Amino acid sequence: MDTTEIRLCGIGGQGLILGARVLAKALVSEGRKVAQSQSYEPTSRGELSRADLLVGDEAPDYPLATALDLALILDQAAAGACDGLLKPSAMVLADSEKVPAPPQGAFTTYSYPFAAAAAELGTTRAANMAALGALVALSGICAPESLIGAIGAIGSRSHLARNTDAVHAGLRMVRDASPVPDPAKPRPGS
Amino acid sequence: MSVQVRNLQGNEACALGAIAAGCRFYAGYPITPSSEIAERMAEALPKVGGAFVQMEDEIASIAAVLGAEVGGTKAMTATSGPGFSLKQEVLGFAAAAEIPCVVVNVMRGGPSTGMPTRPSQGDMMQARWGTHGDHPVIALAPASVSEVYTQTARAFNLSERFRIPAVVLYDEVIGHLQETVDLRESATLELAERKWARGSPATHLPYAETDDGVPVMSRPGDGHRDHMTGLTHGEDGFPTQNPEAVTRAMDRLLGKLERDRDAIDAVDMLACEDADIVVVACGIVARAARRAVRDLRAEGLAAGLFRPITLWPFPEQAFARAAEAAKIVLVAEMNAGQLRLEVERLCPPGARVVGLGRIDGTPIAPAEIRAKVQELTQDA
Repeated sequence: MDTTEIRLCGIGGQGLILGARVLAKALVSEGRKVAQSQSYEPTSRGELSRADLLVGDEAPDYPLATALDLALILDQAAAGACDGLLKPSAMVLADSEKVPAPPQGAFTTYSYPFAAAAAELGTTRAANMAALGALVALSGICAPESLIGAIGAIGSRSHLARNTDAVHAGLRMVRDASPVPDPAKPRPGS
Repeated sequence: MSVQVRNLQGNEACALGAIAAGCRFYAGYPITPSSEIAERMAEALPKVGGAFVQMEDEIASIAAVLGAEVGGTKAMTATSGPGFSLKQEVLGFAAAAEIPCVVVNVMRGGPSTGMPTRPSQGDMMQARWGTHGDHPVIALAPASVSEVYTQTARAFNLSERFRIPAVVLYDEVIGHLQETVDLRESATLELAERKWARGSPATHLPYAETDDGVPVMSRPGDGHRDHMTGLTHGEDGFPTQNPEAVTRAMDRLLGKLERDRDAIDAVDMLACEDADIVVVACGIVARAARRAVRDLRAEGLAAGLFRPITLWPFPEQAFARAAEAAKIVLVAEMNAGQLRLEVERLCPPGARVVGLGRIDGTPIAPAEIRAKVQELTQDA
């Protein structure tokens, strides 16, 4: 049974858990089964926060992350949050400004200006959505349309247009960027 | 796709399962990590003609639940360790007066205030023996979000049918886990309703013996006399200390758990038939054990999983069959060895019982169980 393990991490307030809910909704709309868990304690307010998704065609036996295929890191405080859990084939997406020293290892790290792109749209609070756009574009875990549909279903009505713009910005970051470092590398979970 | 297929949190599934089972009253006092149950009930109950009350504390909450149940409304309260401790006195009253009720305990680290946001399975024995005196209680231990839904509903059915308090017991991980569930699978849920007194009010005895050992309940306003007390009582509901009457009453009370164990017992087993090592686990630990057992089987090791879904009364017969061929029974649990005590009591003589506990507020991972089984296999 193929399961893709995804961790979204950063600091409390960056919308990581909302991001996980949106991505989970998108995946379920495509018929996938998702198990989501997240940090749950007072330290997640302004400190390390994370949300994990396990995605497959069947519900996983064990629903918590043990070997990550994809990781999104939005703050330096979370740079160590995936230590020991990243597969060699994993893809790590980090915010180029907020995570000056992303984790190093056998996995592949990509840095993109999520926060800066969101700031251009009027608020850095949409950085999570830009990051999800890039994550979807890079991994192909779901269709971009599914992600945008999920934002419409879950996210705030008043922020729908800006969040959708942020997703598009994230998608463009990957599509317009130079080729993926190792095109032969298999997709996570494949 | 049907909106019935969606991501749902364990605690939300608990609330929805209760409503599906006919629960129309909730009284509670919020406590981490169970509070989402109260939140969801507060939102959902008014929409189905039910009522939600946030009480002044946990004791009042369960007392209000019993009041609703005596009035004929299925009712529930939810809490976590410290609140579960407070509820024990009234839980005992429910067992003695034979008032149906459902109490959910989402387990967090203990003892005392412990670790409010961290998971634990430290209340396994409390769920059985938390209140004083010999008493019947049923405890169900779901291990997934969809099972939280179905077992919460089942708790209502069992509690109504047997007039025994039912505890739904799961760890914080299961409570806050969100999984993709298909609620259509649960649409066929059959609902149990309690037996109401229908005979002549003149001759009605509220605790009279019946064919199945469960007395019929007097519906307020119907004219059937009743007397509910925590004092040991005879068939008329009034206190007695007559040894013969007490023995008869207590035998019937405790016997309710034994008369139809097929209806109460529920287990999940994986590859136990030829297993040399059977892992026993509940909740999130059972999910880890399931993964470990599959991995061990792939390595060629004869491992199996026995998961009691009904934790109390412990499904003795099913366990005896599961452990029949085993040389070792490994009990993995997020406490210092509570379930191990019960397994030791029931283990076939040919098998050795080993514990794998964790009390640091982190779940037991599949790799830990796998490594322990590998170690035990090498020693054997």
